[in-house]
Amino acid sequence: MQRLELPRFEFIGRFARNRGALIGALLILVVALMALLGPLFFPVDPLRIVGQPELWPGEDPDFPLGTDSLGRDMLSMIVHGARATLLIGLFASAVATVIGVGVGATAGYFGGWIDEIAMRAAELFQTIPNLIFVLTIVVILGSTLTNIVIAIGVVSWTPIARMTRAEFLSLRDREFVQACRAMGMGDLKIIVTEILPNALPPVIVLSSLVVAGAILFESAVSFLGLGDPNVASWGRLVGDGRLLIRSSWYICAIPGVAIMITVLCLNLIGDGLNDALNPKLRDR
Amino acid sequence: MGNDSYRVTRRIFGVGVFGAGVVASSLAGIAPARAQGTPKRGGTLVATWGGGEPQACYVPAGGGSSPTFSSSKLFERLGNRTMEGKFQGELAESWKPSADFKSYTIKIRKGVKFHDGKDMTVDDVVYSISEIWKKYAAASALTDFAGVAAPDAETVVMTFNTPIPEFFFSSLLCGNVNYIVPKHVYAGSDPVTNPANNAPIGTGPWKFKEWVRGSHFEYVKHDAYWRKDMPYMDRLIIRYVRDPAGRAAAMEAGDIHIGVFNPVAPPDIKRLTGTGKFVATPKGYEESVWSTTLECNMRNPIFAKREVRQAMFHAVDRSFIAKTVYYGYARPGTSPIYSPNKEFFTADTYKTGFDPKKAAALLDAAGFPKKADGKRFAVNLLAAGWFTENGKIGAYVKQALEDVGIAVNLSVPDRPTSIKRIYTDYDFDMAISNQANPSEPVPSTTQYFTTDGIKKGVPFRNANGYSNPEVDALVAKIKVETDPAKRKELVFQFEKIITVEAPLLPLVELESITVASTKVQNHSNDPNYLAATWYDIWLAS
Amino acid sequence: MAGELASSTASPRITRGSSRRVAALRLLRRRLIQAVPLMLGVVVINFVLIQLAPGSFLELMTAENQVSDPATIALLRKTYGLDDPVWLQLLKYIWALMRFDFGFSYRQNIPVIDAISVHLPATLLLMISSITLALAVGIAAGVVASMKVRTVWDTLVSVVAMFFFAAPGFWLGIMLIVLFSVKLGWLPVGGMATIGGASSGFAAVLDILHHLLLPTLALGLFYAAVYTRVMRSSMLEVAQLDFVRTARAKGLSRNRVTISHVLRNALLPVVTILGVQMGTVLAGSVVIESVFSWPGVGSLLFDSVSSRNYPVVLGIMVLGSLMVIAANIAVDLVYMWLDPRIEIR
Repeated sequence: MQRLELPRFEFIGRFARNRGALIGALLILVVALMALLGPLFFPVDPLRIVGQPELWPGEDPDFPLGTDSLGRDMLSMIVHGARATLLIGLFASAVATVIGVGVGATAGYFGGWIDEIAMRAAELFQTIPNLIFVLTIVVILGSTLTNIVIAIGVVSWTPIARMTRAEFLSLRDREFVQACRAMGMGDLKIIVTEILPNALPPVIVLSSLVVAGAILFESAVSFLGLGDPNVASWGRLVGDGRLLIRSSWYICAIPGVAIMITVLCLNLIGDGLNDALNPKLRDR
Repeated sequence: MGNDSYRVTRRIFGVGVFGAGVVASSLAGIAPARAQGTPKRGGTLVATWGGGEPQACYVPAGGGSSPTFSSSKLFERLGNRTMEGKFQGELAESWKPSADFKSYTIKIRKGVKFHDGKDMTVDDVVYSISEIWKKYAAASALTDFAGVAAPDAETVVMTFNTPIPEFFFSSLLCGNVNYIVPKHVYAGSDPVTNPANNAPIGTGPWKFKEWVRGSHFEYVKHDAYWRKDMPYMDRLIIRYVRDPAGRAAAMEAGDIHIGVFNPVAPPDIKRLTGTGKFVATPKGYEESVWSTTLECNMRNPIFAKREVRQAMFHAVDRSFIAKTVYYGYARPGTSPIYSPNKEFFTADTYKTGFDPKKAAALLDAAGFPKKADGKRFAVNLLAAGWFTENGKIGAYVKQALEDVGIAVNLSVPDRPTSIKRIYTDYDFDMAISNQANPSEPVPSTTQYFTTDGIKKGVPFRNANGYSNPEVDALVAKIKVETDPAKRKELVFQFEKIITVEAPLLPLVELESITVASTKVQNHSNDPNYLAATWYDIWLAS
Repeated sequence: MAGELASSTASPRITRGSSRRVAALRLLRRRLIQAVPLMLGVVVINFVLIQLAPGSFLELMTAENQVSDPATIALLRKTYGLDDPVWLQLLKYIWALMRFDFGFSYRQNIPVIDAISVHLPATLLLMISSITLALAVGIAAGVVASMKVRTVWDTLVSVVAMFFFAAPGFWLGIMLIVLFSVKLGWLPVGGMATIGGASSGFAAVLDILHHLLLPTLALGLFYAAVYTRVMRSSMLEVAQLDFVRTARAKGLSRNRVTISHVLRNALLPVVTILGVQMGTVLAGSVVIESVFSWPGVGSLLFDSVSSRNYPVVLGIMVLGSLMVIAANIAVDLVYMWLDPRIEIR
């Protein structure tokens, strides 16, 4: 319960001691800047046809990363894709965290049959093959960004719920909680203001990993052609390039590298957060 | 997915018409193989097509190109059309109209046997026409059908409520899946779910032997086939490969001999023909010409003015689509009747060529000037996702319309959602879809434009809601005009009106390609080769 | 990783005197009983989801067949029980499932179970080979990294694992195709067997293995990375435990201790995660199958989803979940076998 009271510099110090996490955080910063500032450098809609189709990277200085099968600028699509990709990842993770924390907190705090039902539900969602479920939801409800975000959130909340529940189980009978109860504080207030802040650190670690997972899910959905066609998505770029691997395999390769680097960095950050927030697990 | 398994096809009737070599092809070395030397007998031919495995081997209503491909080797039609455009009998020996063109007398071929050894009789013909054609295979063409009867063992008479032009009737007999099916197998059952659909019994040159799901059909020679000494080969395998790259690899390895309807990706066509071991030909699709169309939903008041509709087409560079999206295997479309149609196509129509300035001027004049934000109005553009190309065209059309100041929200739903949104919910402002049309324009082409073509929930009809009494009257005349020359003039008139009105026009006419090993002889010799029986194909050593 | 470890369904408890077989049987029974409400939940969720779909399969079927005759449509509705209220349809479906009847695929005109079982072996083959690869590589790499902890080897293993942990499987698959099929020409671009190749005997087996290699790598390397990481940390953790220290203090050689004491115990988290991820592997194979034109359930699912062939989609979901549950039970049993002190709560 003392975790959050960890002095801030110590937190940063622990995080930065993990060199991988530091590199990851810096790279993600670059990707995020790209997402934020990209539209300034590439003000034109990235889905516009601007040149000859299938120009290799370097073939035309105007298009450093080449063009796709229709003649759209790969670099512009990658830069704009960063925005969509990060946003989808963050929002999906937010959805998963909200559901997961909600279910986990309720289950852990109240226990009994509520806990039983919540954990059965978690088990249920873990049993259904996740990506298949996402695909079905997206196909059935339509390929819009909102639906994709919700679908990914719906299949990603179970680990967060379990983690939150475990934390709540260990915290709910501590003295400070009992003191609050004795003072007549309501359940909701205890959950939100007393236990939750102390339970959050491991949940944050998990949420950062869910962002990475969500990006992978989104890229798979888009790769299979079920993404939102108005959005430049890295996964869709890979899918579009698929029939051209004989002549122009770079169309597949470049956005895939972008996905991999982003996910890699998020995982590194997750590891770093883990080290910083869960000191007892440091040497894992 | 990049998957093109379930191609849409319209299984109206229609097969017929000629039009050999009208196609301005970008290919090299493409003469369809004519018989060279003495046909070799025996052996196995392995064929494929540019899509996936069918849902059933035979679907009474057609069910798309895939079941049409697989069933057309097992069943036969009453008539057939040659590459030269002549109609000829297949299971019929001949047919002729009565003086008032309200009934047709068909002489049925003798000595035809089904694969189970039973004789084909006039009862089978009567059953097929009244139960299969009327209800499933040719329902939209047989609206004026009055009845069918067999006065004697060799004759079948079809009667109609109105005069029926001979070209229309002959096209009907040659229709895609207007087969003669065995009454003793289908009578008393629901034809749609009859188990025989997955192991059909027909009269065709090939007899069903086995379906290994996920892999192939195996057909063997029908020994009692009515064409003496045919087919030449012992076995026909229809092999399904999910992706074009896999098909190309299998063809290169010599494991597949022929692939119809765009079996491999365009770059691979050049690679395969470059080896000298393969030919690629656009022939054999004259009676099933595919197009990609753009239409404006008339329910949106913006499109009430025809200048606005014309502007939409002027804004789009069709050559770019043909060149970039289809790698040159397409040509700009100009008329609702496609250019390979020698009977009814005319170049003398209103042209909506690429001219963004004109588009802008038309929009200004129609009362849609650019507003402060540079936009005139916003539209929802739906590109039907059943072909991956449609999505790309959608992206391009979006940009082209944005260039003339129209904000576009693009969606590319998958096949079921596209069908529902375009043809049931009419939930689009503009739509990109596809058609495949035979030469006979009624009803397959005309039902996209007539008021009675507006049938909620029935796909590949008039979804844009265009309703013009002049067009309706004209089509009614085309339907019953029995003088071929006069009829042709009426169709020309129809084309002129539609191109000016522009509710729906083809963006491009697609050039379908067959790729075959040079060993394969007698292929691509039917104007709808995908749906031909392939009785005379053989493989040189 | 932390989450998956924490979410382990199995928590250890020391048994008192009951024999392992009895314990195993008791576990099996309890798990099977627990599986019933789980399956029911799976069926209900998916059934409801499919009801949300705009555009029923009937609409699609009639559209595809150009049937517009209202009488025919009404007849079809009746035949397929669509006029029943949804809850009745659901009850009927569950009742049928109890008799192992997954319904009828109208589109293909065969029972759903037949449609699925044609494709199931290919998917199982891909899943099993990928998991085998992942376990073999992951355990080996994890052990190496932990025994050479904080050396170049450890770093190398960790870095490579990080990369495969982050690479999307479908992209990895395409890159493997570009390298091994297009550029080098060593391996086929897709499919499960050479068209026109041998259909039986050793040659056919070899041919399938030839086709299996790339999809296995594309699907399996991600999990290999997962197991590497888990194995490494688990080995390090177990090595800190008292009984290992005792063993080492008794003078047993380091390798001997590692093999006989540490490895066995360190495998437990790997086994747990294997169980948790079974559904993910199945889902991942759907994407990989699409990349490699692998004729498995994934291709059937995709065709069925895109033709709204709901009975088949539902059938795949239910069967898939059933497989996951079965795999989880198997994993629990393995867990028990690995650690005889443990019974599962």
